[in-house]
Amino acid sequence: MSDDAPRTLVDLSKARRMDVRQLLKAVALCCLLLFASAGPGIREAGEQMDPGLDRTLVLAVGKPAGALGDVVPLHEVADEATAWLSTDEELGEGGFTAAAQGPAAQGGGVPPVTPEAFDPAALGERARPRPLRKLLVTGDSLAQGLDAELARRLADRGVDVVRDPHIGTGISKDILVDWGKLSTKQVKDESPDAVVMFIGANEGFPLKGAENRDVECCGPEWAALYATRARTMMNTYRRGGAARVYWLTVMTPRDGDRAQIARAVNAGIFAAAAPYRAHVRVIDTVPIFTPGFRYRTSMRVGDEDTIVRESDGIHLNATGSRIAADHVMRALERDFAP
Amino acid sequence: MLFPTVEFAIFFPAVLALSWALMSRPALWKPFIVAVSYLFYASANWKFVFLIAVVTAGNQLAAVLIHRSDDERRRKWIMAGGVALDLAVLGTFKYYAFFVTDINRVLEATSLGLPLPLLTIALPVGVSFFTFQAISYVVDVRRRLIEPSPLVDVAIYLSFFPHLIAGPIVRAREFLPQLQTPRDPRDIPAGAAMWLIAIGLVKKVAIADYLAREVADPVFAVPEAHSGADVVFATYAYAAQIYCDFSGYTDMAIGLALLMGFVFPNNFDRPYRAASFREFWRRWHITLSRFLRDFLYIPFGGSRHGKLRTVRNLMATMLLGGLWHGAAWTFVIWGGIHGAAQAVEHLLRGKVHVPRWLGWLLTFHIVCAAWVLFRSPDLGVAADVFAQMTAGGEATLITAPALVLVLAVIGLQLIPPRPMDAIQLRVQQWSPAALGAAMFLVILLVGATIPDQGVPPFIYFQF
Repeated sequence: MSDDAPRTLVDLSKARRMDVRQLLKAVALCCLLLFASAGPGIREAGEQMDPGLDRTLVLAVGKPAGALGDVVPLHEVADEATAWLSTDEELGEGGFTAAAQGPAAQGGGVPPVTPEAFDPAALGERARPRPLRKLLVTGDSLAQGLDAELARRLADRGVDVVRDPHIGTGISKDILVDWGKLSTKQVKDESPDAVVMFIGANEGFPLKGAENRDVECCGPEWAALYATRARTMMNTYRRGGAARVYWLTVMTPRDGDRAQIARAVNAGIFAAAAPYRAHVRVIDTVPIFTPGFRYRTSMRVGDEDTIVRESDGIHLNATGSRIAADHVMRALERDFAP
Repeated sequence: MLFPTVEFAIFFPAVLALSWALMSRPALWKPFIVAVSYLFYASANWKFVFLIAVVTAGNQLAAVLIHRSDDERRRKWIMAGGVALDLAVLGTFKYYAFFVTDINRVLEATSLGLPLPLLTIALPVGVSFFTFQAISYVVDVRRRLIEPSPLVDVAIYLSFFPHLIAGPIVRAREFLPQLQTPRDPRDIPAGAAMWLIAIGLVKKVAIADYLAREVADPVFAVPEAHSGADVVFATYAYAAQIYCDFSGYTDMAIGLALLMGFVFPNNFDRPYRAASFREFWRRWHITLSRFLRDFLYIPFGGSRHGKLRTVRNLMATMLLGGLWHGAAWTFVIWGGIHGAAQAVEHLLRGKVHVPRWLGWLLTFHIVCAAWVLFRSPDLGVAADVFAQMTAGGEATLITAPALVLVLAVIGLQLIPPRPMDAIQLRVQQWSPAALGAAMFLVILLVGATIPDQGVPPFIYFQF
């Protein structure tokens, strides 16, 4: 460690100078190669963005770049060549696209009500708590904070808490992650005794309805399609009754448009859980954090008013996550032995 | 709009081409750069564009009034007004929530009632950086180091997109003179700039984000669930992560500015080779360090009034420096540790000889321990991290890739930089085609490591 003279980041006195034409040639070549090798990816990235200037900008380039990529399949070569660097897991087959063609899409007749639609405790039966060995906490960014809080509380009880939030994803936003496939993989990999799901910050995207028609949020048709997807996931997570699922609804966001989406999402969650009341518990966060669907930043916690939401008006802050964790813990303790 | 995103990859080449096309006509170029910088800022939250515009106008008014006056007292008061505006913006948006609960407790205890409303105020991205730059402008005008510039130049200085979000904190007297004449379109150090952008991308996306995802974030979320070995490793991993994250951002910012013809000051110089805290702050976040020195430490009295006053000034400067990073006690204590360490060094200077290797060992490990406070969401988690460091159990996070990355990031700072310098110099000589193709390859390879969830924001965005 003898060389201790302060140094500049790059030695500009020795740097080769270019004129602006040469610079723009270099940048243009780089962009051209990127658009040719990642055109379809840029187009997909644009399609999954929320409406706004950024989306317009990305789609303005992504559409022609995607068309170029469709003709010149350089992106396939690039994808294959760089696959070894990817940190994402392969989710496998199936997923919502496949599920949409299944029984839920059929309709007609009155579906039978099965015993699984009833929570035995609600009928007065004595609960038979079982040990909780593995808990999966998943969802989108809403699950962040809650997952850490639950893991902290269960750390000394010998419970293996798997924290697997997928930021920026949504059940109605399957370009990024298909939750139908992801839930199957999570269950296959982890076989959890219980699953806590907290998702809904990135919903409101059009869903494919009958005849592959796009159904816009947030009417009954969209809620029904959303519920179908959520139910598929609930069915996966409950593992035929071997596991319990704790699905949190979305507390009302500050923004009016998002609040409308949250109401549709929550309606979908309740409808989805109806046939699986024996195994799926819906933890309704609306009366806890936003009674009457009215957004509030703070609430009474103990003896004082305390802020429970983040400044984005969507997420819970650390205190809010602790309150949500209280409710999840109570629900877990009803089903599982301490 | 983060640098390593599709949006920016589309935005920047278009802006670069237009910027050079308009460069020879400042009357068009300057409004254009302000407009695209505001557009860049609006992509985070358009409402805060008004905030930066108000800060620009307020500080420009103060600078002009200072310049017009010969009365030193009056100049001082106008400067205080400008600085107060900047601090009010910073205080309202950054520290309101931090102090409101404590203030309300005092109001309640003293039966004064009228509690302040509990609000969650969104933090404007980069507010700590552009307010500090605004302060530097007004103070430098008052100190007669510079004269007021035209409003459009000040608007560019405060909003120039390569440094708007997270620095480096460029002083007014470094940047404004560069606006006086158009940049030379035949004199662009493109190789050096692209080298910096490529290195910054690798540091941020391939190293910092990987270490965060695989090691630091899981441990700091639930330290109790990890073995002592994992917790200790996560502490070193975070040291590597924050260096790569922040210096990676700075490298990209400096590189992007170079492509547009502007030179920013260096912000990092192999900080983990420092053998004292004084040296550490000459190598880490250098532009903040000199800001704190010039605008806090020296005005407090610096080292001019004896050892005890110097210690007081060091502590006050570093505590405020800690608070600048975030409105939380963890940051204040982090600043306090750095202040206390520098105070001890100051008191022992000339009395105790510490070999360089021992100085490095102590400095590096105290810096890493202090990072625990910096990273922890609250003091409880920080205490849990420290407590868990001695716990037994199996190490599951010390994987070969993570270990190699941590050792490389820290180890490369300890050896002389000649091998990297040689590569850098060679790259700088490449032809435009070779540079374009190499940049494409770097983006392709780095992009392949980005998970489905995208690139997480830079750590310093929250400051």
